[in-house]
Amino acid sequence: MSNILKLAAILGLITVIAACSLALVNQATKPQIEAYKAQQQIQARQEVLPAAKEGVYVLTDEGSDFPYYMGYAHADTTEPVGVVLLTSGKGYSSTIEMAVGVDLSGALTGISIVSQQETPGLGAKITEVRYGESEPWFQAQFKGKTLSQLSVDKDGGAIDSITGATISSRAVTDGVRSALKRLEAKQRTAKP
Amino acid sequence: MSTITEFTKGLYKENPVFRLALGLCPTLAVSTSIENGLGMGVAALFVLLGSNIIVSLIRKAVPPKIRIPVYIVIIATFVTIAEMLMQAFSPQLYKSLGIFVPLIVVNCIILGRAEAFAGKNTVGRSILDALGMGLGFTLALVLLGFFRELLGSGKLLGIPVLGTSYQPVLLMILPPGAFLTLGLFLGFFNWLESRK
Repeated sequence: MSNILKLAAILGLITVIAACSLALVNQATKPQIEAYKAQQQIQARQEVLPAAKEGVYVLTDEGSDFPYYMGYAHADTTEPVGVVLLTSGKGYSSTIEMAVGVDLSGALTGISIVSQQETPGLGAKITEVRYGESEPWFQAQFKGKTLSQLSVDKDGGAIDSITGATISSRAVTDGVRSALKRLEAKQRTAKP
Repeated sequence: MSTITEFTKGLYKENPVFRLALGLCPTLAVSTSIENGLGMGVAALFVLLGSNIIVSLIRKAVPPKIRIPVYIVIIATFVTIAEMLMQAFSPQLYKSLGIFVPLIVVNCIILGRAEAFAGKNTVGRSILDALGMGLGFTLALVLLGFFRELLGSGKLLGIPVLGTSYQPVLLMILPPGAFLTLGLFLGFFNWLESRK
């Protein structure tokens, strides 16, 4: 009996030491990780709604289940140039998080994948940049599309899916579509 | 065994992938390109080095009955540390490796070396063993990644080398390509060994 207690005590001691060292490393690296994430988000906003790059992005409906950013071309105007939505889709091996830019007519100005952990070589191609090109080809094709065109080619839409990665392609497309639908529903209730 | 062979045995004679056939799951999964293979190899080397040092330091204090859970706690700790450090100081590398980093916990080379070597040997020898095995693993991943990336996407290190007329053999970066390449390599090394 005392033997079991002794074994448990040793194992317990080792896990406590492990937990303490992890807490230390976590504390040391957390500010840097957070800063990088915030910077990634700002970059994503500017990528998907370049019209407001020089201006401001105002967080709207903060605290609700569907917050979004209104984009203004410069700081002292009340006319927005578009909206940045944050959305996600269930991919093959991860939840794909993305930012979606929409102009006032309801057409997409761009999408950007903020985080994903899809299969490298297949699903991860949603962020692939081809040699000699400046932006990811899969995301670029969303530019200018409207709600009715947003499904992958296999489902009769206008988005070319990635060979061998239909689930990831569909996850991104469906995520963007559902975000646009929610925005539309919100605007309808806001302006009766 | 002399000190230097503790290091060199991991490179060829006891290469974890090609000779011992250990850690095949991550090997098959991540060797789609040179960059992925190299990143994974270096991360595994870091974890292997850390766990080998700690395991050999405490080898006399740990009762044999609980050695496996103790080793796993130590390995998981180092993997998490590696993950956090990579996220903070090299977010680009972390982004490209993604899910592979936490997968190092289940890499049986690391538990295997803790159990078979570090638990019975001095710190110095364990460090040499970890370096040799880690480099051997990295070497194997880079070799597999080289052929799979070249044939599967016509690129090396992400740069196209086979020209636009080359039609990539998609199979090579899919799981069957991993098995085919690894099988040919295992056969090649067995053939080398049998000629001696």
